[in-house]
Amino acid sequence: MNLLDSLTTAFALPFMGRALLVLIVLSVAAGVIGVFINLRGLEFLSDGLTHAVFPGLAAGFVFGGQGGVLIGALVAAAAATIVLTLMSNNRVTSDATTAIVLTAMFSIGVIIVSASPGRAGGLEQLLFGHLLTVTDSEAITTAVVAGVALVLVLLTFRRQVFRAFDPEGSAAAGYRRVSTELVLNVAIALVIVAASNAVGNLLVLAVLIVPGALSRLVTTKLGGLFAVAVGAAVFASWMGLALGFNISVVGGVDVPAGATVALSFVTLYAIALIVRVLRKGVNA
Amino acid sequence: MSPRTRPIPIITDDALTITGGAFSYGSTPALTEVNITVKPGEAMALIGPNGSGKSTLLKGVLGLIPLLEGSMGFGKSAESIGYLPQTEHIDPEFPVTLKQVVMMGRYRKMGLFSFPTSTDRAAVRKAIANVGLTNVANKRFGSLSGGQQQRGFLARALASEPGLLLLDEPFNGLDQPNRDALMQTLRQLKAAGVAIIVTTHDLELAREVCDTVLFVNGRQIAFGPKDDVLTLANLQEVFHEFQVEIDEHTVVVPGHEGH
Repeated sequence: MNLLDSLTTAFALPFMGRALLVLIVLSVAAGVIGVFINLRGLEFLSDGLTHAVFPGLAAGFVFGGQGGVLIGALVAAAAATIVLTLMSNNRVTSDATTAIVLTAMFSIGVIIVSASPGRAGGLEQLLFGHLLTVTDSEAITTAVVAGVALVLVLLTFRRQVFRAFDPEGSAAAGYRRVSTELVLNVAIALVIVAASNAVGNLLVLAVLIVPGALSRLVTTKLGGLFAVAVGAAVFASWMGLALGFNISVVGGVDVPAGATVALSFVTLYAIALIVRVLRKGVNA
Repeated sequence: MSPRTRPIPIITDDALTITGGAFSYGSTPALTEVNITVKPGEAMALIGPNGSGKSTLLKGVLGLIPLLEGSMGFGKSAESIGYLPQTEHIDPEFPVTLKQVVMMGRYRKMGLFSFPTSTDRAAVRKAIANVGLTNVANKRFGSLSGGQQQRGFLARALASEPGLLLLDEPFNGLDQPNRDALMQTLRQLKAAGVAIIVTTHDLELAREVCDTVLFVNGRQIAFGPKDDVLTLANLQEVFHEFQVEIDEHTVVVPGHEGH
């Protein structure tokens, strides 16, 4: 099987088709939400949320096995979202506090998994996902959670744009600031939960941050941003998955497909950046 | 506007009535003893030194800060309130066009699932034409000049078809043609029955387009028809270094004209 086959016929295999489907659902949700993350400059908060979700993933995994991961992650995400939203509204937050909280949470998660007997390999799975061995029920829960995140943002689309552009003006127009921010943060947390299973907690950030950042390099049209972000995410998923398949199934080297997908996202971003620099110069 | 931000919704024939109003950011009131009425088609000048509570009053009317004491009533015409803030901190790279920014003024009128109708689009076009920016309607907002951006925000306020329009220092930094154009716009709005509150330290403006004047300095100093209130005694009570203000704006001292 050559690389071309990996890009095409390989997806006829059930586990590959399932992995691609999961990634497409994630790409649509993360693409749209990623644009708002970029417009609002919430990259670091997203990083904080990702790490804060980790102990939930870990505890869920240890106490409930693979099925407990989602519940644990959702509980942790809910708590972290509320805390971070309130902190940012009371202006007590800073990069330092977020950084302290996120490393603390992450270490707690690592300790939980490592300290539990009989869960060998669990840590790696939580960090890097298990894209190629996702079960049907995992695929469905991922799609549902990502779908809810997408619906939340689509229902508040206008006020999210208004808030991102002009916080004061949107408040004056009667949009409550805390609720607008909470909805977006909840959506971000849900995508993190959904994506953690597939691409792993450590690599979620690539799926969440890269498409939005990439779209800003390509277009200055508001509608175009969402189209480019979703399109780029789907394309990068396809490429990354094919590469992961080629390395691990054809090549026989055990590489998590989540890692090749994340690398594919970053590579596409690098290409967009180079093209932009070549066209407009470094400072454009 | 969200009903929850309106503590005491009293419906009156006047656009806005505040009785014994006190507003605050925290626990100590920033502006007290406010007793005003603004009728449809009337403009009120809100005058006071920096930090005297002008923006506080506007934010209180918008429901962004709480009314601590007294009551505040809105007329049926003031169901929709337009607001032009003094300074807008926007990201110049933000990917929206002027037209999209002005459309934000229509958002509250749109249903959750509906797209902009032809009525919405017509209102946006009209508001942009009104401030003379039709030729840059499709330009990125951040690429416009400061004066154009301010007119763009005015267009956004106009697009919401407000019954009550709040303008915070709208004449700051405007050149003479833009100033005249804004005056003209305000006159048209008044003729259309819009109630206007405009903060300014430009007494000439207050005389030209406003009907009533409210002087504040932490509390209400005076309120009433401009000819009764725009007196030297009131100005001296509000601005302690009143001479400086006169020099800055080469304004005829009110009261010397024997109103």
